[in-house]
Amino acid sequence: MLIQIAWRNVWRNRTRSLVIVAAIALGLWAGIFSDAFMLGMTEQQVYNTIHTETGHVQINKPAFLVNHDLQLRMDNADSVLVGVRKTPGVKAAAARIQLMAMASTAANSAGIMVNGIDPDSQRSVSDLEKLLMEGAYFPSDRSNRILIGKQLAEKLKVRLNSRIVLTLQTAAGDITYSSFKVSGIFQSFDSEFDKQMVFVRKSELQPLLQLPQESASVITVLTNSLEDVDAVEQALQRQLPNLQVQNWKKLSPMVEVTVSTIMQFSLVFVGIILFALAFGIVNVMLMSVLDRTREIGMLMSIGMRPARVFRMILLETIFLSFTGAIIGVSLSAVSVAYFGKTGINLSSMSAGFNAVGFSSIVYPSLGLDFYANITLMVVVIALLAGVFPARRAIKMQPADALRGE
Amino acid sequence: MSVIQVNQLTKTYNETMVPVTALDHVNLSFARGEFTAIVGPSGCGKTTLLNMLGGLDKPSAGHVMIEGQDIAVMEGGALVDFRLHNIGFIFQSYNLIPVLTVKENVEFIMDLQNKPRAESDARVSYLLDAMGIADKINLRPKYLSGGQQQRVAVARALASKPKFILADEPTANLDSKSTETLLELMANLNEKEQVTFIFSTHDQRVIDKAHRIIVLEDGRVISDTAQTKSA
Ligand SMILES: Nc1ncnc2c1ncn2[C@@H]1O[C@H](COP(=O)(O)OP(=O)(O)O)[C@@H](O)[C@H]1O
Ligand SMILES: [Mg+2]
Repeated sequence: MLIQIAWRNVWRNRTRSLVIVAAIALGLWAGIFSDAFMLGMTEQQVYNTIHTETGHVQINKPAFLVNHDLQLRMDNADSVLVGVRKTPGVKAAAARIQLMAMASTAANSAGIMVNGIDPDSQRSVSDLEKLLMEGAYFPSDRSNRILIGKQLAEKLKVRLNSRIVLTLQTAAGDITYSSFKVSGIFQSFDSEFDKQMVFVRKSELQPLLQLPQESASVITVLTNSLEDVDAVEQALQRQLPNLQVQNWKKLSPMVEVTVSTIMQFSLVFVGIILFALAFGIVNVMLMSVLDRTREIGMLMSIGMRPARVFRMILLETIFLSFTGAIIGVSLSAVSVAYFGKTGINLSSMSAGFNAVGFSSIVYPSLGLDFYANITLMVVVIALLAGVFPARRAIKMQPADALRGE
Repeated sequence: MSVIQVNQLTKTYNETMVPVTALDHVNLSFARGEFTAIVGPSGCGKTTLLNMLGGLDKPSAGHVMIEGQDIAVMEGGALVDFRLHNIGFIFQSYNLIPVLTVKENVEFIMDLQNKPRAESDARVSYLLDAMGIADKINLRPKYLSGGQQQRVAVARALASKPKFILADEPTANLDSKSTETLLELMANLNEKEQVTFIFSTHDQRVIDKAHRIIVLEDGRVISDTAQTKSA
């Protein structure tokens, strides 16, 4: 019966209750949705980092990443690759040669990173082909083709089919030149990437650099899922004790830090909103208790223990808060699900987003555990907000309360 | 044997600038089955006395013994439980629970007592029948007239099977027709079921119905007389 009374009491002053319910609902909606937005953004950043730059796991010689020294290459990369592909949890793997070089045109020149890839196997570990704005991904009947990023194309003032001369240092330390024709221009989420990375065929790069056919400097691995990454990393490290095996978090520490910070921050953010709302809840419940002074005096007179009165007020606070929370969370769940499918297009401001490594279409996303945490937080906040008015109620002396001040 | 024994009961309100002695060494005793009116002008101490008898406020001095137990020394939850099981209350402004229906208002007190559902159901319909409001049981109090609400309050007070019922000016807000109906019902219950009523009033028509009249003046009992049924 206490539950029934408490629930009905919540709706006695309909306007007052609806106002606070609406405040809770809107506050939570705004908070949860912006969290989902941020989390979606970081999730995408993680996806992009993995699928264009690092893969889930990367294998190279120790110290190679310090300055991409061609001497620190794996001469038996192809046979390593065979073993890697057989490792449980591995979905795909590809080898490439990576070195620093100079790209020049008649108009300009730029320091770049040359990636010698095997177009077919690269396709299975990276989204490079999908990032092409124009042109084609290494047409099989054309040789000496190069893919470059949009920023680099602008800097070198080249278009499709323009020629670019790469200046490279061979394995022996000699300087060599070679001319490539632009077969495609890509745009990724990361303008730094688009400024620096160029892609050519590994099979054409190896003879230029006087490298054996089997050689490569980096092996990029995709696992079946994000959850497999750690296990695969460990298995590969055991299998290849002389090579450096690293997961994407170590390769892109900034992305990892952003993700974990945003995860924590998102709950703190909703927590702050709830905390602010708690003051509103306290206020409403206090008004409600004071309005009912005489009634509470009567309840205690006829035999309702203070502990029960206390519970009644707490229940009312919880009902009030939960009504708001349920509406707020439902609105959030629906809108997150909707925009999670369609995405939110930020292309009007995407220039800025790209510069810091975010994509222009954001798919808000939230895990079930996030909703569970929110629910827990609402319970805690409601209980905290209810204590003060409930204490106020049971401090009343029946005789005084009945006189009705 | 008396149900209530009041010895040297004194109440002084100290919260005011000048302390007010609302009850001044009052000695009284109430027997089972009484139908007693406490009368006197406004401010003479009627409410204060009823609050002391009901354990709603603490005396400054003296004792209120209910069947040998001194409720003046009871505290907190124990006192609330004592009220729940031994005393019925009727208030001037009805004080029903507005969010509950008539039926639920009466059930509520038995719910507090943890009475089995079947027992409380039976008692609710019996009482509301006796009070002549059986047709209103599913309405909320605000849809009832004052007289009807007060009859629900009487039913609620009786529901817990208390040793006695305290009513502070129960008819003060009622018109004369409702006052008459209510008093008739109360007198009936008193006569047929030996329910003990102690009520305060300054309405002469109510005083006329009482079997015993205690007159207060400035916190003192100035007369205590029996009155044979007449009027
Ligand atoms: N809480 C209180 N604080 C101070 N004085 C009070 C309080 N309650 C009652 N009094 C005073 O005690 C006296 C008796 O009051 P009360 O018992 O309410 O009289 P009655 O019910 O007969 O009108 C009055 O003078 C009143 O002003
Ligand atoms: Mg009074």
